[in-house]
Amino acid sequence: MSRLRSLHGPALVLAILAALWVVVLGGLFVLKPTALSVATVTTVLQFSTILALAALGQALVILAGGAGIDLSVGGSVSLSAILAMLALKAGMPPVLLPVACIVAGLLLGLFNGLLVTRLAILPLIATLGTFFAYSGLALALTGGAPQPGVPQWLLPWGRGTMGGVPLPFVSAALPAFVLAGIVLVFTAWGRWIYAMGFNERSARLVGIPVDRTRLILYGLSGMLAGVAALVSLAWFGSGRPNIGQNLELESLTAAMLGGIAIFGGRGGVGGVLAAVVLLVTLKTGLLQLNVNTVWQVGIVGALLIFVLLADRLSHRWR
Amino acid sequence: MRRLNQAMSTLTGRELILLAACVAITIAFASASPVFATPENAATIMRNSVELLLIGLGMTLLLAMGGIDVSIGVVMGLAAIAVGRALGADLDPALATVIGPLTGALLGLVTAAVVVLGRIPAIVGTLGLLGIYRTAIFVVLGGQWLSGLPTSLTEILGASLAGVPLSFWMIALAYLAVWLALRRTSFGLHLLAIGNSEEKARLAGISVIKVRFAAFIISGMLAGLAATFYVATYRNVEMSTGSTLALDAIAAVVMGGTSILGGRCSLIGTVLGVLLLRILQNGLLLIGVPSLWQTVVTGGLLIAVLSLEVLAGRLSFSKLGWAGR
Repeated sequence: MSRLRSLHGPALVLAILAALWVVVLGGLFVLKPTALSVATVTTVLQFSTILALAALGQALVILAGGAGIDLSVGGSVSLSAILAMLALKAGMPPVLLPVACIVAGLLLGLFNGLLVTRLAILPLIATLGTFFAYSGLALALTGGAPQPGVPQWLLPWGRGTMGGVPLPFVSAALPAFVLAGIVLVFTAWGRWIYAMGFNERSARLVGIPVDRTRLILYGLSGMLAGVAALVSLAWFGSGRPNIGQNLELESLTAAMLGGIAIFGGRGGVGGVLAAVVLLVTLKTGLLQLNVNTVWQVGIVGALLIFVLLADRLSHRWR
Repeated sequence: MRRLNQAMSTLTGRELILLAACVAITIAFASASPVFATPENAATIMRNSVELLLIGLGMTLLLAMGGIDVSIGVVMGLAAIAVGRALGADLDPALATVIGPLTGALLGLVTAAVVVLGRIPAIVGTLGLLGIYRTAIFVVLGGQWLSGLPTSLTEILGASLAGVPLSFWMIALAYLAVWLALRRTSFGLHLLAIGNSEEKARLAGISVIKVRFAAFIISGMLAGLAATFYVATYRNVEMSTGSTLALDAIAAVVMGGTSILGGRCSLIGTVLGVLLLRILQNGLLLIGVPSLWQTVVTGGLLIAVLSLEVLAGRLSFSKLGWAGR
């Protein structure tokens, strides 16, 4: 018990998430013992990949403070996938599809970054606007219909597994998190992000290029959304205009649950990945129990509010 | 003529621009579509503006305070279900008109409790509530539409007083009430003070929590009133009822000149913003633009207006901060 009490920061977050995860798994085991299998693990990680990439971008943007938030992640995922598929349809060589996806995401993210840094529009309102513009465009450009025609050579990567772990998770989500973790902890640039989030004024005074760093982070969030879009293409074999639906809520919940402070400057990406796995396990479990998917958005929403309230209360009682 | 001059001089530059924009797109659409400039279509636009106008008034209060509520459209949906259920249970229709605002106020109270007492940024808190309310709507409706509701409410709101429909009087009354609260009471003054700087408002002895609670409750009540009009007009409620209203309201209010950083607002601007948005949406539909483009246009308009505002040097760089605080 005393050891538990001595836990703090990232270790505490991970301990709580692990405990919650065990509770979710235990509940699932009691309600439906057959649901626990290697296949379920594969499914959970497969579904986790897209959310993990989106949540990483969200976490970085929030971490850098300045009221940072990216409500457009879901829209960016949808629109990157659709833009890449439309480009393919318009005669782009199929080899370029992955690049097109990622570049599209990067550009959408940079547009957010420009609104926030160059025009100093509040991130919440700027990305709320682009959220509707991006997700609306994805629907309007396609009339809501999935775009088929993803090249066959991409599918083995999207659907394959390595020792039960899906390839996109191993080759995209995991490296992205490891890289982000290393950059945040071991490089000056990573420390700048914490410094900006902790106290932007001081960060500016010591000469950190706050605006440029923030612009890059929004671009990065968009780029990760582009990678998530690519994963969805390789997995489903078609571009779905609503693939990013609810990702803004889920990525935000994952970031908060993972211990990122809402006002920035505090938190790490390890917790975010754990939170993503927890969230997706919960969602998959509900799906296994035949609970209507409409419940997912409510439960995730409640979780988001609960996490933030718990954070407030723990500060008050400390 | 002098009257007109006086009336014009009470409008600010922003409001004149909006008025001009309304006139300009009306002329443009009238020349592009023969159906646009008809009395029937004008009535349709007015009719479609009612809910947005009421919700926009509440959103004006919230944004002026430095708050926001992205769940407000779904709050209207929930209130509409309450009104519909009341009508379906043969409740006295006069009583049914109270159910909507009451439900709205109650949900506003919940929002305020989460955002104000929980000290959660309004955008994050209401995004979470949006998820919860969407599930709530599904659970309450059981996946089915609420349809074929009695016409009793329609008859009450359609009745005329001095030759003008009762509904018009009620909307005018709601506008007047919000205007009075904002411009003629200490509540309004405190609200704007909080929008300017919550810290300074608190130091000046303003009960910040009370004022913020009141604003969220009023906003919820207005959404509930909007729900009453919605049920009276369409006599059905579906899963997606109200789902686009929050974005529309934010866009209209921001277009109207209310600052998203708080501290500055314009009710007339909100009315004009609502009209502009609804005329635009109606006109685009009539010239053959698919309705899927509506969110693109609204979102794009929101970004464009904010960008132009900044480029015109109207937002100060020093006021950055969580709008939700």
